[in-house]
Amino acid sequence: MGVLVQDLRAAAREERAEAVRTLVLRAGLALGVGFVLLPLAIVVVYSFSSVAYGVFPPPGLSLRWYGHLLAQEAFRGAFLRSVGIGVCATALALAVGLPAAVVLVRARVPGRDLLRAFLLSPIVMPKIVLGVGWFIFFARLGLEGGVGPLVLAHTVVVLPFVVTILAANLVGLDPSVEEAAQDLGAGVATVLWRIVLPQIRPGVAVSAVLAFIVSFDQVESSIFLTRGANNTLPVEMFLYMEKWQDPTIAALSTVLIGFAAALVAAGLVLARGADLRRLLGR
Amino acid sequence: MRLQGPLALAFLAPALLVMLGLYAVPLGVYLVNGFHRFEAGRILPGWTWETYAAFFTDPFAYRVIGQSLRLAVLVTGLALLLGYPLAYALHTRVRRPGSRAAVALLLFSPLVVSVVVRTYGWFILLATRGLVNTALRASGLIDAPLPLLFNLRGVVVSLTHILLPFAVFPIYSVLVRLDTTLKDAARDLGAGPWATFTHLTLPLTMPGVVAAALICFTLALSSFVTPQLLGGGRVQVLPLVVYQSTVEINWPLGAVAGLTLLVLSLAAVWTLNGLLRRLPSV
Repeated sequence: MGVLVQDLRAAAREERAEAVRTLVLRAGLALGVGFVLLPLAIVVVYSFSSVAYGVFPPPGLSLRWYGHLLAQEAFRGAFLRSVGIGVCATALALAVGLPAAVVLVRARVPGRDLLRAFLLSPIVMPKIVLGVGWFIFFARLGLEGGVGPLVLAHTVVVLPFVVTILAANLVGLDPSVEEAAQDLGAGVATVLWRIVLPQIRPGVAVSAVLAFIVSFDQVESSIFLTRGANNTLPVEMFLYMEKWQDPTIAALSTVLIGFAAALVAAGLVLARGADLRRLLGR
Repeated sequence: MRLQGPLALAFLAPALLVMLGLYAVPLGVYLVNGFHRFEAGRILPGWTWETYAAFFTDPFAYRVIGQSLRLAVLVTGLALLLGYPLAYALHTRVRRPGSRAAVALLLFSPLVVSVVVRTYGWFILLATRGLVNTALRASGLIDAPLPLLFNLRGVVVSLTHILLPFAVFPIYSVLVRLDTTLKDAARDLGAGPWATFTHLTLPLTMPGVVAAALICFTLALSSFVTPQLLGGGRVQVLPLVVYQSTVEINWPLGAVAGLTLLVLSLAAVWTLNGLLRRLPSV
């Protein structure tokens, strides 16, 4: 009887300790989320500040920085340019990356590991080194200014992300479906378009959204390819911030945060949540 | 699908063309500049080791390399120290799939906002009269505001924030795959929660930790926007030297610094990949 009481006490103690651990870990998680969101939240707060200098709390509220933002036509042009470049680079990377991912997963080619490493290597390549490389390369070709070089550069930057995600999605497919189609006389292009693509649509959506985000955030790789007239948005913001630190940038950032939230929502709808749940575990 | 010989090559050709023509060639065209010499405002055509010799006999090179490595090590260490508990708390203490996806999305959300915006957020937070200093003074912890901007401290803090999602997700993805019966077995054998963590969970999730370290280290080493905007010229790292030399048309020096950066990145990838291969997989 005494032993049983002791056991029950020990169990109750253990339960209390577990509850404390849960509390501590959950509090830590909440703090972590707060830390992650703090710089974004402060940017939104500052965009409504009434003064140009950084002081917390802001002495008053105003919309003047949004007015200032609307007056800056360079930002509007740069935004549209960045969206266009992102869409083109994503489309190109998907067109080039899908067949390559199929080869990586389905074909037995010599040196496949080396090939994969080469295709994925731009991820670890310092972007500033690539940026200067493209600057010199396109200058030698006489292709200076305009968005062409930027689209091509961004295609290289996003290609490894597209290839990795598509390859991971292809691994889960049953090759016998494709082989059956081939046995029935379908060509490889038909199989790719009609059999493979419909099965990996969530993977295509996820890789497209990620590729666009990565392209939209390029500074180092693009800064030497822009000449003022063809600045992308992050480059325009970076150069503005080097000169001024007034809340115009905060107003623009707030608009961009809203844009990003809309993009994430669109991505979630596209992937219908299913793929995200698979990525995050049950 | 069955893909052999010329067909596989045809599928691969577009990606290879992009990767060779727009990646390997531009990198090569740039990096050979390191074997030229820059004198009196122009690049001399002859081939020479002199730029390398001059760079590596100058104490400046070692200060820059040391600063780059210090920044990368500090940021990686901090990101892992913060990221592991966050991933662990998310995995073990958030049970409902809906809340789990929501918290994961919040932790991930800064990635869709430009690095320029996140850096700007830290610029406001760390200012002399910014939120951090105001809060610290209000709490009586300090009398005079801490200099947090335009030195290594500010760069480390904001870069840790920027790279935190890259630390959380590799660790989280390994935690999810961890066999829960192992934990039960450890408990049945009398191991307390702490012993279970240090002897079971931590060693088995090391692949995730190493993968996270790999991503954080390479990204921190080649970071450009944050040290440039928050370093105030006092945080001289390799990407800034590459940028500055290119602006000054000193391509040879830029190429030498760029190749040094590239070699350091590849060395880190190689070391950590080797470590990853020797770890037990879950």
